[in-house]
Amino acid sequence: MNEFWLHPALVLILGGLLLPLVPARLRKPYLLLIPALAFARAMLMPRGVFGEVHFLEWVLVFGRVDALSSVFGYIMGLMCLISTLYALHVEENGQHIAAWLYAGGALGAIYAGDYLTLFLFWEVMALSSVFLVWFRRGPESLAAGFRYLLVHTAGGLSLLAGIVLHCKAGGHGWSFDALDVHHPTLAAYLILGGFLLNAAVPPLHAWLPDAYGEGTFNGSVFLCAFTTKTAVYALCRGFPGMEILVPLGVIMALYGVVYAVLENDCRRLLAYHIISQVGYMVAGVGLGTQMAINGACAHAFAHILYKGLLFMGCGAVLHMTGESKFTELGGLYKKMPLTFVFTLIGGLSISAFPLFSGFVSKSMIVQAGFDQHLLWAGFLLNLASVGTFLHTGLKVPYFIWFGKNQCKTATWERAAEPPWNMNAAMAVAAVLCVGIGCYTPYLYQMLPYPVDYHPYSSYHVSETLQLLLFTAVGFFLLIKKLEPEPTISLDMDWFYRKGARAFYWLARRPLQFVDTCVGEGYRLAGLIPLMFSARGAGQFDNRIIDGFVDGFAGAVAAFGRRLRRVQRGQMQESLSLSFAVVALLLVGFLIIFTRVAR
Amino acid sequence: MSATPNPIGLPILSLLIFGPLAAVLVALLIRSDRWLRWWTLLATSAAAVGSLPLYFAFDTSTPDFQFLEDASWIPALHIRYTLGLDGISLLLVLLTTLIMPLCVLASWRYITHRVREFMICLLIMETAMVGVFCALDAILFFVFWEAMLIPMSLLIGVWGGPRKVYAALKFFIYTMAGSVFLLVALIALRLQTGSFNIPGMMGYPYSPGFQCWVFLACAISFAIKVPMFPFHTWLPAAHVEAPTAGSVLLASILLKMGTYGFLRFCLPITPYATHLFMPYMVGLSLAAVLYGGFTALAQSDLKKLVAYSSVGHMGFATLGIFALNVAGLEGALLQMINHGVTTGALFIVVGIIYERLHTRDLDRTAGLGKHMPVFTAFLGVFALSSLAFPGTNSFIGEFLVLTGGFAYSKSVVLWAAPGVVLAAAYMLRTLQKIAYGGTRNPDHSGLADLSLREMVTLAPLLVFVFWIGLHPQPFTRVMHASVQRLLEHSSHASAFALVPPH
Repeated sequence: MNEFWLHPALVLILGGLLLPLVPARLRKPYLLLIPALAFARAMLMPRGVFGEVHFLEWVLVFGRVDALSSVFGYIMGLMCLISTLYALHVEENGQHIAAWLYAGGALGAIYAGDYLTLFLFWEVMALSSVFLVWFRRGPESLAAGFRYLLVHTAGGLSLLAGIVLHCKAGGHGWSFDALDVHHPTLAAYLILGGFLLNAAVPPLHAWLPDAYGEGTFNGSVFLCAFTTKTAVYALCRGFPGMEILVPLGVIMALYGVVYAVLENDCRRLLAYHIISQVGYMVAGVGLGTQMAINGACAHAFAHILYKGLLFMGCGAVLHMTGESKFTELGGLYKKMPLTFVFTLIGGLSISAFPLFSGFVSKSMIVQAGFDQHLLWAGFLLNLASVGTFLHTGLKVPYFIWFGKNQCKTATWERAAEPPWNMNAAMAVAAVLCVGIGCYTPYLYQMLPYPVDYHPYSSYHVSETLQLLLFTAVGFFLLIKKLEPEPTISLDMDWFYRKGARAFYWLARRPLQFVDTCVGEGYRLAGLIPLMFSARGAGQFDNRIIDGFVDGFAGAVAAFGRRLRRVQRGQMQESLSLSFAVVALLLVGFLIIFTRVAR
Repeated sequence: MSATPNPIGLPILSLLIFGPLAAVLVALLIRSDRWLRWWTLLATSAAAVGSLPLYFAFDTSTPDFQFLEDASWIPALHIRYTLGLDGISLLLVLLTTLIMPLCVLASWRYITHRVREFMICLLIMETAMVGVFCALDAILFFVFWEAMLIPMSLLIGVWGGPRKVYAALKFFIYTMAGSVFLLVALIALRLQTGSFNIPGMMGYPYSPGFQCWVFLACAISFAIKVPMFPFHTWLPAAHVEAPTAGSVLLASILLKMGTYGFLRFCLPITPYATHLFMPYMVGLSLAAVLYGGFTALAQSDLKKLVAYSSVGHMGFATLGIFALNVAGLEGALLQMINHGVTTGALFIVVGIIYERLHTRDLDRTAGLGKHMPVFTAFLGVFALSSLAFPGTNSFIGEFLVLTGGFAYSKSVVLWAAPGVVLAAAYMLRTLQKIAYGGTRNPDHSGLADLSLREMVTLAPLLVFVFWIGLHPQPFTRVMHASVQRLLEHSSHASAFALVPPH
């Protein structure tokens, strides 16, 4: 099919590339227009398979639009719009371009119908998102970004290896559909590894808090939405029902919660919490039933919104005060009340308060776990909810906006409500969080499978309220123990960070020595003779060839100059000379002619 | 040779040839320098746009000459005014008409005195160059061939550098000396076949001795033009002294006339001699590749460096031609176009440097990249193209040529590969020096980056570098039929069939 099909990612990517050319007056409307167009396109696209491109020996499918990809495409388009509104006042074009390329990459991966297209956009996401970390330009940003890039490149490599093995060597063809989860091959594990790394499944998760905590205040809002959820989509598409994902998801949920409680930096806390929430989604994919997959999609949808809202709130605090650590904040409700309200709404959503979005999405997965009689999974996920409310619903709002005011004077002076666009973006996200919670058909209609779940049962409401109430009691009883301390939690990245230093030493000492020897040898034996012969060739050209040519020309010129002197201007001399020459020629000709004739 | 009817209806080739000449008449009346520049730009752009229908109306399925025009010119000597295009000359005509407006743009601020004469020289050159590629009558070809000598010598000799007179004279006499032999060969061919019609000369049963003499006479002329080693020394002198537009025309178009002459005369008309001399021509081509690379490496004058790189690149083109197979010939043709684009661009780039710094010495230009990043981006792309980096146009051409050469003899690649490495060496060294330099670069902080005019001059060439490099089919598909016909004419079988048994 060679008709042109407008990919929403194309709108974002082209829009981003053209941004530097937009005049200053039209910049803000343009910044809102492009994601709005992309979102509208994602919303209005008909279902089907589009955008097939024949490239060399492959058929690349850019537009596989079905229920599963539509729901992810919808929320990602929407989140891109909200996040761009949030970052509307950012002057640096590079940040917007990187963000849109990143969102475009995510959309491209969502709608990819074959593995090659998926991989292409996978890498686009990795390469563009690293700039959202680097643009912070903090003392740690460069290193954090590099770690992020290296880890994602490794993940991409695993994914590519799996793709090549699966499609080419395994002969399964290139289209991206569910793999055989009951008989997984090495190729399937490699692909799974690539997906799990992007989903930040422990032990491959350490990049997430490292990078998301270090990103720009607006960049992290983008970062939290796309990479992990694209990985969740990929897992939904490729590995539904893979049993190992259930324990992995549950471990993730608990692991993230534990580390989040220990965190001092609010954005790192939220980042660890992403791991926890994605754990629910991974467990949902592992359960594999229709309700579980629905739950994973619904939870991803809700999570993008409320996690984005939370990152926006903490990003606003960071932007206005310059601080993100709990030990440097506190008592800000006087200065930033609106931000507090929005962040609180996000916190309540994530804790699955009734009437908020988390309530109607998270429970689907837990219910699916109980339905499949995996009681341990269901109860442990509920335990993770306790931790969630504890740190995100209680700790974050309390220690930033209430509690002991540990702000430095400079911080306190700077603190104020953020610009209108940031508040507007947070308001939109907050309204959606509440709206989804209150009016469930809005979300449930978009889910891939028909929904037969009613969250507002008396059992569910009372169970949730009990959990949350007792968590709140526990928080206030143990508040002294939960006070933030300026510590750094060691995580799995200790291994590769230390390992990297060792590798670096290896490169700097022994390998560099060998390289220097080779370089010297190359210079002495290769470069010097080469330049010598080159100069020789140049001299040959100048002296010998040109010497011959110019010399010949010079000789002709000299001969001509001498011959010219024969003409002295006297007519009689010239005439006699010419007659003499003609006579000589005729005589010579006659002699030769008569000799030949004989 | 059957005639395909002209689908355009107009005598488009004559219009393209004499249109610039008509523009000269108007230019004679214009007083203001500013208007002269705009008028010349308009005229050359009109020719460029007007030549596009040639591509779209070209029938790629037939090797016959198209857009034919035939009229009687000098009946007493049987000289006719015959014009036509086939797949080989189509791309060269398009290259010529495209490069001309860029030459005018590149000379916008460069030429400040005698602007009218300069623009007139450029327009006459366009007439002559397009005429050479379109002519199908031998004397008409020769007239256009000689006609471009005088404007070119003027371009070098009047608007050139310190040794302009020496360079102009050298260019003129060297080329003229070669063309004298060409004229003798053409007349001899006429005496054998009875007409000056070039297609009519192909396929005629000449004796082997005659073929050898004709081949050598034509080859001398074309070898000087290409330029093949060892007849190349006029090229560095001419390029160094010529103004930017002169260098661009010289490199992009004039050198192609030499290889075009091989393709139009030597291969189809004297196939036996071609086969006989093939090893020597291949040897000389390889020598040019290596020699051009070595000498370019030793240069510190940018223009001389690019001039010697031209020697190397044209060595690849002649290598492809004398490999006498499809890959080699198509590679050679493509390489001709690529060289026109890339080396033309490089000369414009060097001209930009010269306009700002008034020097072309590599040491004095070191470290420009810091203050002129857009310029360095353009230079980087064209440098990569010059060293045949994959993804750029020259890669396709050189790859095809090497494939063809390999089919001829395995040792060809053995000798040509170091040439490719040398090209990388001198081009990367130049790029590194200009872009980054060393630790003690001259102070370039006052220099302005590329202006809009300069970017517009380089942008089409940049587009072609990547277009031909990533999607060469639109350019190669017009060549197939004509190359096949050329190979038939110059094939081994026909070579020996033409020779009457003796």
